[in-house]
Amino acid sequence: MILKILNDWFKRSNKIERLWLLAKIEFKLRYYENKLGLLWALLKPILDIVVYYVVFQIVIKQNIPAFASYLFIGLILWNFFVESTTGTIQILNTKKYLYEYSNMNKIEIYISTLLSNSIGFFFNFIMFLIFYTFLEKESTGLSIQNFWILAVFLNLFILSLGMSLILSTLYIIAKDISQIWIVLTSFLFFLSPIFFKLSTFKEALPSFDYGNPIAGIIINARHVMMEHLSPDFQLMGFDYAYAIFLLLVGVLFLNRLGSKAAEKL
Amino acid sequence: MIMENEIAITAKNISKTFHISEDSHNTVKHRLFNLFNPPKRKDIPALKITSLEIKKGECIGLIGRNGCGKTTLTKVLAGVYPTDTGYLKINGSTMLMNLGVGMSQELTARENIYVSGSVLGLKIKEVDKLFDVIVDFAEIKSFIDTKVKFFSSGMMARLAFSIAVNAGADIMFLDEIFAVGDMKFQEKAIRVFESSWIKGKTVILVSHGMPVIRQYCSRAAFMKNGQIEFFGDTAKAVELYTADNQ
Repeated sequence: MILKILNDWFKRSNKIERLWLLAKIEFKLRYYENKLGLLWALLKPILDIVVYYVVFQIVIKQNIPAFASYLFIGLILWNFFVESTTGTIQILNTKKYLYEYSNMNKIEIYISTLLSNSIGFFFNFIMFLIFYTFLEKESTGLSIQNFWILAVFLNLFILSLGMSLILSTLYIIAKDISQIWIVLTSFLFFLSPIFFKLSTFKEALPSFDYGNPIAGIIINARHVMMEHLSPDFQLMGFDYAYAIFLLLVGVLFLNRLGSKAAEKL
Repeated sequence: MIMENEIAITAKNISKTFHISEDSHNTVKHRLFNLFNPPKRKDIPALKITSLEIKKGECIGLIGRNGCGKTTLTKVLAGVYPTDTGYLKINGSTMLMNLGVGMSQELTARENIYVSGSVLGLKIKEVDKLFDVIVDFAEIKSFIDTKVKFFSSGMMARLAFSIAVNAGADIMFLDEIFAVGDMKFQEKAIRVFESSWIKGKTVILVSHGMPVIRQYCSRAAFMKNGQIEFFGDTAKAVELYTADNQ
């Protein structure tokens, strides 16, 4: 009995090592291969912020306090979501070598890729912390509530994993899912409170923060990082429910469609 | 009485049919525009209802003429293809091996060794220990940090073989692997195969070379038209295969 549990544990420990190994290699492939490397990954959100700052703070005067930080936290969360969904639609094609010749569980491929994206997110988040504490003039500093970001990020991770599973398995039977998803993400992007005032957003679309699973994540991240508040627990509950539901659908899709990947792709 | 944990693979009534449609209906657009014009489908029964049981540590030969379903059967038994019917239980990690596969072109030899080793169920420390052995065996010492896509096909095949030999999954499916490398490498491969694989590992050997099958396999399966016609004594299976080739 004890031996069996130990045995299982050892097996799992190989799995954790494997996930981390695959994530590291994925990260290296993504960021060390091109000339600017990691710098590019860090530069991208800053360039995005500059663009949105000019448009929404200088041209359209929204007067959101600490707008650059407001954008920063919203954009890095959003970028993680896009990279983990749009970026993984073809994952069963590009990572074919991992499952085509062995009975390795496919979900490990997804988790490792999302872990690799999480490393990228981590660097961006550190940048945000530095920016917010040292450079932002209207900063309110750090607080104990900041730790809630872990729960918010876990929510985003589950949501992205679920969507990634659904999209990449649909890709097996519908190759143009990527075009459809690009349209849907741009729709979601403009319907999430990333660069406009939350009150404007709520006025125009009442209770849409409950309809859009990404919106609540961004709202709560700002609560805990910038406003010294605890997260809106009702909203968080909703978003966790969305994420877990999508993950379950994703796993179902993986078992139904994903198992045919080796013969269909 | 055979204990449950002595069985490597149990397959009951497994089968596999491929559906091939003539024009590819694999986009949403195409599906919508052809809603009332379903594609012509062709069913290919690659593997008909089959049952078999493989014990741990056995070396099974799989023979039959081209197109008889050997590759499909190995892929189903390895858990790469899902079976359409029946029940399949695989105890342990599996690895399918044919010429130079199971590696990512984008990764270096070093990374591929670690990834493959890990997929085969080894821990990083175990791969560390095996690393030099694998590299020496594959004779690619000066190309460890070169991306595999720049390798020649021979180097690729040797690396894959070396990983498989030294790391090895619990159940190995070997599809014509003795065709890798020059004569010296082949001799080495056979030596290693005899010394380490025959003991302990479950091996399913697919080959058209009857001497190899006769020498290593305790049992053999002869396949014809997607069915296992005979499963048992190696000599009998080889005889059937030879007769089929006349």
